[in-house]
Amino acid sequence: MITIIASIVSKPLPYLDPGSGSMLIQLAVGAVLGAGVLIRVFWKNIKAFFSGKKVEDDSIEDPTAIDYDDPTAIMEDDPTVVPPTKE
Amino acid sequence: MTDRLSGSFRDPSGFMFTSDGIFYRQVNHHYQKEYDLLMNSGLYEQLTRSGTLISHTEVNLGLAPQPDLAYKVIRPEPVGFISYPYEWCFNQLKDAAILTLAIGRRALEFGMSLKDASAYNIQFHRGRPVFIDTLSFEEYVEGQPWVAYKQFCQHFLAPLALMAKTDIRLLQLLKVYIDGIPLDLASELLPASTKMNFGLSTHIHLHARSQKKYADKEISHQEVESKGKLTKASTLAFFDSLISTVRALEVPTIETEWADYYQDNNYTENSFEAKRKLVGQFVKQVFPETVWDLGANTGEFSRVASELEIPTVAFDIDPGAVQQNYDQVRKNKEKFMLPLVMDLTNPSPNLGWRNAERDSMTARGPADLVMALALIHHLAISNNVPLRSLAEFFAELSEHLIIEFVPKEDSQVRRLLTSRLDIFPDYTLEGFKQAFEPTFSVLEEKPVQGSTRTLFLMKRK
Repeated sequence: MITIIASIVSKPLPYLDPGSGSMLIQLAVGAVLGAGVLIRVFWKNIKAFFSGKKVEDDSIEDPTAIDYDDPTAIMEDDPTVVPPTKE
Repeated sequence: MTDRLSGSFRDPSGFMFTSDGIFYRQVNHHYQKEYDLLMNSGLYEQLTRSGTLISHTEVNLGLAPQPDLAYKVIRPEPVGFISYPYEWCFNQLKDAAILTLAIGRRALEFGMSLKDASAYNIQFHRGRPVFIDTLSFEEYVEGQPWVAYKQFCQHFLAPLALMAKTDIRLLQLLKVYIDGIPLDLASELLPASTKMNFGLSTHIHLHARSQKKYADKEISHQEVESKGKLTKASTLAFFDSLISTVRALEVPTIETEWADYYQDNNYTENSFEAKRKLVGQFVKQVFPETVWDLGANTGEFSRVASELEIPTVAFDIDPGAVQQNYDQVRKNKEKFMLPLVMDLTNPSPNLGWRNAERDSMTARGPADLVMALALIHHLAISNNVPLRSLAEFFAELSEHLIIEFVPKEDSQVRRLLTSRLDIFPDYTLEGFKQAFEPTFSVLEEKPVQGSTRTLFLMKRK
């Protein structure tokens, strides 16, 4: 009974088995990486404070970023396709 | 006539079907909440405007093959030739992997998460990888690990690592393992030095060990959740770790048989130009809607067609040549060229559940025009295929054929025959024409200037 209630209140189960081993290693590695990010940001800020330089952006090239310089990349597609109407 | 696609059955969120030759996707009630979130959160807009998710229009619900389950019917923008990861070169698979991760990471910003990370969800469309499964998004619940992590590693990271660190030919394992390369196998095949690489040691070696450790233990989803939470910041860092692991994998510019072919062959620059001109004339004579170039090498002659804005698939057996071709497509933003790895002596078969999930090469045809330039001697002499069987193969693939006959006097053929018995008495221009006569009519026959070769334009009878 408890499991039934639990499965109703929490997120539905995934349709593919995510594998408990895969999930558990992810929790462990994710925690380490998350801590790493905190330390890195903290360290950068300290460096920036003493050097007086701005914190540089080290973000990587992101294919999902919209390229406003090249609008044709979006518009060249079949013009007859009407964008979906939002409800 | 409505037909459910045989490869579209795993996800209860919906399925693909065709009706009068047009592809649609039924979205089930089961997926209503997620679909609305995708459309209304701004994620759909972001991904389609950046050209990374295939766009779609909502159409009449009456088209639904299973109306009792249907919430919506959508019509995705059509993709030309469907290709599979075991036909991609290293950089194609790498771009597809980075795209999957970038979409997964971006989805988090909009309160969503990728629920699967199958390499079959990516297609090459107008020269770029694009995500085609609109139903792969679900609501993101902070604290939850990424459910598609295992699939991502099996479908992308393991084959990329094996290609980069062990042997490029190991990509072919994806034909055997339809749901990606098992991580314990990848871990075993990778050199020990990869254990010193943080990304590969965690995402493959430790991952495989963790899978083995918990394989026969019954652990419920709730128990996994109770072990800890992954904050959003940690999840983002986790994606970044995967992205940088993938980015760091490289295959050096591969010096294989064919990549240098044009520097070392039977053509003087003049006869090369003459051949290109002839091919151009023949292509324009047919003006096909689609072209398959078989044995395309780096796509020199495929470009004669693709530059006329004819969608062209350039197949070659050599992953190095295909990669050079793909790099050029990316660099020059070519939209009509799709380079793929294909062994014509053993083309991609029908694969998967009931042999019907992934189509064979021939099932994805026919093309309007097939080009077989400097190819016939490899199939007829190196692989002993009778000329008549070759003609039948080409007839199966296409109505029109541009084919180059390479005679025994040609140095390339002489080389193939130096260390073996010449068992090909019929391999002559006359014998070739006789063998093709039952299946094709010759429209044009022109010698290639400055060489001993002959170029034909043929039409299936």
